[in-house]
Amino acid sequence: MRPLPRITAVFIAALAAPALAQGLLANRPLPAMPVPADNPQDQAKIDLGHQLYFDGRLSADGTISCATCHVPKTGWANHHPTDTGIRGQVGKRNSGTIIDAGYMRYQFWDGRAASLEEQALGPIHNPIEMGETLENVVRKLNAIPGYREQFRRVFGTDVTQEGIAKAIAAFERTIVSGPSPYDRFRMGEANALGASARRGLELFNGKGHCTSCHGGPAFSDDSFHNLGVGMAAAEPDPGREAITHDRRDRGRFKTPGLRNVAETSPYLHDGSAKTLRDVIDLYDRGGEPNPDLDPLMVPLGLTEREKQDLVAFLEALTGPAPVLEAPPLSPDAPPAPGAGGQP
Amino acid sequence: MNARIALWLALGSLLPSTAAAVPVFARKYGVNCTLCHSAYPRLNDFGTRFRMNGYQLPGKESEERTVLETPAPFAARISGGFDLVRQYGAASPEDVTQFRLEGLDLLSAGVLGRHLGYLAVYVPPIPAARGLAGQEGTLEMASAVFRHLGTSWLNLRVGRFEPAYVAFSAKRQLSASPYEIYGFASPGGPAMDETQEGLELWGWGRGGVRYAAGWVNGASSNLLRDVPADAYLRLWYVLGEGEGQTAGQRLGITGQVGLARPQANQAAAREAFFRVAADASLNLRQWNLALQAVWTRDPASLWAAGGVAPSGTALDIWGGFAELSFMPEVSWVLFARGDAVFVPPETGRGEVLRTTAGARFYPVDNLAVHLEYSYRREAPAGTSPELTDHLATARVDFAF
Repeated sequence: MRPLPRITAVFIAALAAPALAQGLLANRPLPAMPVPADNPQDQAKIDLGHQLYFDGRLSADGTISCATCHVPKTGWANHHPTDTGIRGQVGKRNSGTIIDAGYMRYQFWDGRAASLEEQALGPIHNPIEMGETLENVVRKLNAIPGYREQFRRVFGTDVTQEGIAKAIAAFERTIVSGPSPYDRFRMGEANALGASARRGLELFNGKGHCTSCHGGPAFSDDSFHNLGVGMAAAEPDPGREAITHDRRDRGRFKTPGLRNVAETSPYLHDGSAKTLRDVIDLYDRGGEPNPDLDPLMVPLGLTEREKQDLVAFLEALTGPAPVLEAPPLSPDAPPAPGAGGQP
Repeated sequence: MNARIALWLALGSLLPSTAAAVPVFARKYGVNCTLCHSAYPRLNDFGTRFRMNGYQLPGKESEERTVLETPAPFAARISGGFDLVRQYGAASPEDVTQFRLEGLDLLSAGVLGRHLGYLAVYVPPIPAARGLAGQEGTLEMASAVFRHLGTSWLNLRVGRFEPAYVAFSAKRQLSASPYEIYGFASPGGPAMDETQEGLELWGWGRGGVRYAAGWVNGASSNLLRDVPADAYLRLWYVLGEGEGQTAGQRLGITGQVGLARPQANQAAAREAFFRVAADASLNLRQWNLALQAVWTRDPASLWAAGGVAPSGTALDIWGGFAELSFMPEVSWVLFARGDAVFVPPETGRGEVLRTTAGARFYPVDNLAVHLEYSYRREAPAGTSPELTDHLATARVDFAF
């Protein structure tokens, strides 16, 4: 038998070695939580952050805490399209989950915070959310001996803005989703995904084009896209453009992670999609037409069964996440009213 | 080690245990082939945008990795199976009843920089032997792609490529049977399905207008390597979202002019030919209707037979096809097509009619099981007998 031309054999042999290499967009299991060098994790700091997370005294009128909108029992989000802050003010955006937020490069829908530390202070001085000044928060917490003592123990100082941010961020870094059926499937447990979810996985990585943006361990590309949601409004939310002042960012919002997504309805930056099926329908029609629609958006031509399969797959991304109760606050502190108060 | 043994060892290591996609781009991104292909090898709307964007994900160019930072940018495609061919009316029928390797393509593609990518397809020579069908070796495509040269309206491809005047790629078609009009040309003339060497510009904007314009050598109609004289412009418009592949509706027109000389008389001066085409790709749910009409005006000299040119100065050739495909799920597609080519009797050729029907099943997304039947009839002018042939084929089409 005459051998193949050498170049052919060499060419094909070159295919073999890297064939199983992970692709750029592959959805791998979550790695260890990245921790910034200037804010290492320790239990005392995490406990302090836990208290601050549930403490309504961080808001101007004592009614709103982080946990008011990011509720542990509802996937660390809540089921309102948008949230209500102090004095009944209604915000424009949906409060996303904090599950796995520590894996994200940007925080908030418009990515205006580059770290959890930066994010943690944002809602406090947002006039619609907690409506307090950071100076006042520091003053109020320093007046509570228990907090002052904890801050000295953890940071070696009285209460500071930086300390508040670091403690809350350290706590949020512990809110991580556990192994989902999808992860177990990836680890070789063939029956971890049902037939529908397995078909959904193929669609997710193929015809559904989901992986283009929802790639990586947290199922997010840490980038911003215009799906056209809300762009038909008289004054549409500019999204990322408000931060970068780049015209090309108009209507772009951060790609949220998808782990435990089945628990965090409603969806999209304005909470306009009540169910995962609604979101899939949006993608199936190629988003909402607008001049800045992301070029990755194209109609998908999904069948009814394919939509159901995608939902089944998304539901299979749910893993156990911590469900924590509000901790006892400092005994010297006055009772904290509202959802973020004393247990 | 014997090269053939090395080949099979390599192939064995690549067989997927699940529907893992492994060709170049799928492997690079860790996605399935169906991200870019609806009914592989046909591109879907996403794949079309990816190709138009110089093999980079639109809007994510800053995150792209070059071929030096990603898995080896190589892939291969093998097609083979069992063919049954029966010909009637030919002086020496080329009947076939056997297993055949239909093709082995080696492909490399990738990104070299923010604005630079490439694609190369090499068809290695495989010697024919008793009981084995061979194939001629050729570098079918090799082009560098310069994307987004300041604007999405300006992208450049240089090298050997399939020109944009082929509205429905002859390299990524569903059927094994060729599009008749793309392959129909005077002896040695400029067939549309030839790859060409030259350059092509293309672009698009936020609306539905797209264009491509090229300047190419003329391939087999330019054996003396004269100054390139074939130029074309294609304009198309997409209504609705998508690119008209599986979503949206696409309407296109193409004009081409060129110079060619008779194959049998390379000393003759080149004469101009013209080609005008219209195409549409219409989508409704899982259905796609592809329509192509082409009119060619050839100088009569191109059709010279035995040194004698037909009377008149030009000959008009009409043709086209209509292909209906139905893809209810990603795992299978049905297709049916009618081809027709009408030529004046002075060419010595007669009208060509082809009817094709087939199905492709995708048990995994980089492997297709292909079933097809095609009937072709050519009715030459004069007293020559009608030529008919039947093709029934069952193949596997495997890319890895």
